[in-house]
Amino acid sequence: MSNVLAILEQRDGTLRKVSHEVVTGARRLADALGGEVHALVCAAGPVSGLDAAGRHGADKVITVTKAAFGHYAPEGYARAIAERAQAGGYGAVVCAASAQGKDLSPRIAARLGRPLAADITDLTVDGGAVVVTRPVYAGKALLKVKVAATPAVLSLRPNVFTAVERPKAGAAESVAATGDGGRVVVKGIKAAVAGALDVAEAPIVVSGGRGLKEPANFKMLEDLAQAFGGRAAVGASRAVVDAGWRPHGDQVGQTGKTVSPSLYIAVGISGAIQHLAGMRTAKVIVAINKDKDAPIFKIADYGIVGDLFEIVPRLTEEIRKLNG
Amino acid sequence: MKIAVCIKRVADSETRVKIAADGKSLDEAGVKFILNPYDEFAVEEALRRKEQAGAGEVVVIACGSGASQETIRTALAMGADRGVLLETAAVPADGLSVARALAAELNDGGYDLVLFGKMAIDDYNHQVGPMTAELLGLPCVTCVAHLDLTAGKGTAEREVEGGMEEVEFPLPAVLTVDKGLNEPRYPALKGIMAAKKKPLEVKPTTLGAPGLEVLAMTPPPERKEGRIVGEGAAAIPELLKLLREEAKVL
Amino acid sequence: MIPSQYQPPLPLDRLLIKQGSEGAGDSMELDVLFVGAGPAGLAGAIELARLAKADPAVGELNIGVLEKAEALGEHSLSGAVVNPIALRELFPDLTDKDLPLRGRVEHEAVYVLTSGSALRIPTPPTMKNHGNYVGSICEIVRWLGQQAEALGVNVFTGFPAAALLTDGNRVAGVRTAATGLGREGQPLPSYSAPNDLTAKVTALSEGTRGLLSQAWLQWQGVQSPNPQIFALGVKEIWGTKRPLDRVIHTLGWPLPGDAFGGSFCYPLAPNLVALGMVVGLDYRNASLDVHVMVQRLKGHPLVRPYLEGGEMVEWGAKTIPEGGYYALPERRSGDGVVLVGDAAGFVDVPSLKGIHYAMHSGIYAARTIFAALKAGDTGAAALAPYDRLVNESSIAHDLYRTRNMRLAFKHGFTAGGFQAGLMTLTGGRFPGGRYTMHADADAVRREEADGAFTPDGKLTFSKVDGVFKSGNTTRDTIPTHLVTGRDVPADVARFYSHVCPAGVYEEVDGRLRVNAPNCVDCKATDVLGPRWTPREGGSGPKYKRM
Repeated sequence: MSNVLAILEQRDGTLRKVSHEVVTGARRLADALGGEVHALVCAAGPVSGLDAAGRHGADKVITVTKAAFGHYAPEGYARAIAERAQAGGYGAVVCAASAQGKDLSPRIAARLGRPLAADITDLTVDGGAVVVTRPVYAGKALLKVKVAATPAVLSLRPNVFTAVERPKAGAAESVAATGDGGRVVVKGIKAAVAGALDVAEAPIVVSGGRGLKEPANFKMLEDLAQAFGGRAAVGASRAVVDAGWRPHGDQVGQTGKTVSPSLYIAVGISGAIQHLAGMRTAKVIVAINKDKDAPIFKIADYGIVGDLFEIVPRLTEEIRKLNG
Repeated sequence: MKIAVCIKRVADSETRVKIAADGKSLDEAGVKFILNPYDEFAVEEALRRKEQAGAGEVVVIACGSGASQETIRTALAMGADRGVLLETAAVPADGLSVARALAAELNDGGYDLVLFGKMAIDDYNHQVGPMTAELLGLPCVTCVAHLDLTAGKGTAEREVEGGMEEVEFPLPAVLTVDKGLNEPRYPALKGIMAAKKKPLEVKPTTLGAPGLEVLAMTPPPERKEGRIVGEGAAAIPELLKLLREEAKVL
Repeated sequence: MIPSQYQPPLPLDRLLIKQGSEGAGDSMELDVLFVGAGPAGLAGAIELARLAKADPAVGELNIGVLEKAEALGEHSLSGAVVNPIALRELFPDLTDKDLPLRGRVEHEAVYVLTSGSALRIPTPPTMKNHGNYVGSICEIVRWLGQQAEALGVNVFTGFPAAALLTDGNRVAGVRTAATGLGREGQPLPSYSAPNDLTAKVTALSEGTRGLLSQAWLQWQGVQSPNPQIFALGVKEIWGTKRPLDRVIHTLGWPLPGDAFGGSFCYPLAPNLVALGMVVGLDYRNASLDVHVMVQRLKGHPLVRPYLEGGEMVEWGAKTIPEGGYYALPERRSGDGVVLVGDAAGFVDVPSLKGIHYAMHSGIYAARTIFAALKAGDTGAAALAPYDRLVNESSIAHDLYRTRNMRLAFKHGFTAGGFQAGLMTLTGGRFPGGRYTMHADADAVRREEADGAFTPDGKLTFSKVDGVFKSGNTTRDTIPTHLVTGRDVPADVARFYSHVCPAGVYEEVDGRLRVNAPNCVDCKATDVLGPRWTPREGGSGPKYKRM
């Protein structure tokens, strides 16, 4: 029986959503190991939304406080967590492979003198040992890895361990961190400029190809993207970028950007391999094309065959309604 | 400025992944190996910092098989001064054992700056840089996309969800760099010629027992064949229903 | 329509630059420079490096090989069934097992196809491959490059030669292409200026339809009895479920009767099959499309069973000089320069061989160059012995024997086949004399519908899919490197769209559209239409096992 330490994230005193996934993953692991989940968050003070950790399966929720912990403090966080992991005799330490987690988890692992299984997409326990799956070669292969060390230090790829509610006690504990924040000091976060969402980062991408017939028609796609309320960016196929209809920075494909949004809507794009190489890792792909034999339909989860000039404005209307 | 750049030889990003007969590794037949693209940004940054300082040394260090000498030569052709290869039979899945070997080499090297790429494009490990920093007891900033250095300290920006994190740190430090930091130069003809004559020290190295054991390498699951929801605008309500209830993306 | 009427002239003003002209960044002085790291250039560099080591008379030689591909072999494409004779000669201490070849040819078959059947015919004598090996020119070139580097040769990959540096009538070296230019030709932050490489001798080993080779021949007015003619080969490599144990060649379908060519199917390994078609560019139907023909070929009952359930892993295209003996330039040497390999046209079409001729010509060039360096004179007279060596070698001998064979097919397959048979029997003495030939661009075309083609994404693929499988990751924002004629009419634009296997050209609303980054440097339209010029180093395909 061994417990699992789940490392949560807060920003500006509010628990980040990715923490729900971490607790969910940790819960799965703890159940297999027959132990408890202890969730830990480093912060300057109380963290709002922390009750969610109990709902997702944390038996105990520990807040490690220090004035310098308002922002991410790489060295201070790493020391506090490594100390706790060591003192608690945990079987595993689970982080998110988020921007912060990717920075923090190797530090924790190095301090513990344990390897790190990074960016994992699945985990099981086999004969008491943690076995994880992690994509390598840009997702072109999966590696199954046995973590032959205790504690097993893991980071979970975001958006893979879908948060599941598994209510547990979530007993709150608060401790003050010892030592200082460390030499590396985060001064703050400059917010990305609104409306300048990059196709490579947008959770939703609406892409257009030559089926749009002329550059002015991309207005339709911009409207559709807008309807998603700032979560969508407009992408383009190589053909239309080459034709000068759209800037090169919008190009999705092998020689453009590789995107993996949760929703990719391909409008009037036939689906050359070149393009597919750039978006095939999207979680859900929707294709709208008038040619029912277009290769894009082979990779799309959902397709609508028909005139995009009729379909897209109607779709935009419906999405607008949905998002109030 | 004395700068170390830790680099890795990796399979080209265009590699068609074929799994080797052992079922655990990449079949390297016909695979092209290159300098890890993120490490190119690190080499470029080191060269620029040295050029700005007007003096110093850029040392490239790789851990890997003998073939990594070729990768080191690429960095030397870009302009680095000398190379060190920590020669091992293979590079393990476990980043910590590599970090230990690098830390042992870097320790007492008197480096003002140690640079890494933010990750290698083969294993996506994202960890050797910060682990090495921890082992050396040096401050570390990862995924640096913008960098200012002044006497004894620096500020960096790194991309986080929804913005850029601004970070201050003292020197000497370990930095892992992201794309966007600079535009790496192509090796010039003269650089390629000169690289042949630059010192490259090969040090046989034994890594500790890896803590990660690779059980299998498998191809990713094939995407499920999709379906045509319907024709024309009439299919929109059904599409939205599926996106909401089945795919859960709305 | 006659293609030559719409073809712009070779841009000689850009291709010939006086030595010392402005515009270069770095410059570098070498003893000998090979332009193109193919079998000809690398065999030459290896032979020369060895000669210099064995005979210290000229001291240490500084030998360079320039290559436009990002890495060795990435722009090399061939069938190929290789005659190992030149490799054995260059590496006498190695056994065949150590050479970069795949399996030895044990079984071979030649078929005449109709759309639904295959009739096996006796293997024509010129096509017998007993004792030859299946090989990948990418692998051969990578291996030769390593051997060259081990001998101290400087191989510079990623540096296309863009112009000859001239000094009077002498070739003094080359200027490389700039890198880091934007679409309008403006320098980007990554810009790096062209380099000048000067050498006592420049060996043009550019391969098929070499740009600087063409420029030199035109500049110096070097003629040949017939113009050089070309074929286009489109090739795919398949990982198959069913093994292939023999070398297959086919004639006939899907080619029309008035086109010259055929298909090939070679096992690189039992479950790794190279296949493709080679079609002479003097065909008459302007709608003929070699890429589409390869797609059709794969559906033939002879071929399909091997490919079904398999995966296309690589795609590529390249032209082949087919003119043979009478298309060889009257001299392949001049002041400070020699032409070797495909750049000179050393290909024997009836036996489908060129690699060993290329290597042999490189070796002869190296011997001549070394003697010239020793004598301290690299002028035209000092390099002329290279021509004599070639003329007295099996290269000229083999090409002479089949001198009219390809040309006999200019009026179609049946008449050609009959004459070629007699030529074989008589060792080329029938019918004597010289068959004359037009340049491919002068052959009259008419547009005849060739049927619609829709790729299925499993067995058949679009051109854009092919380009992807060629590994082409050319930066999309480079300036266009293709020089098109002015006011290209719609039918000519459509013709280009069929000629080009990579989908570079399209006819859109009656006008020519050029998608330059798709280009895989096959040179087909350089033969028939828009001119090819080099772009920044590392552009184009990245062939691995072609």
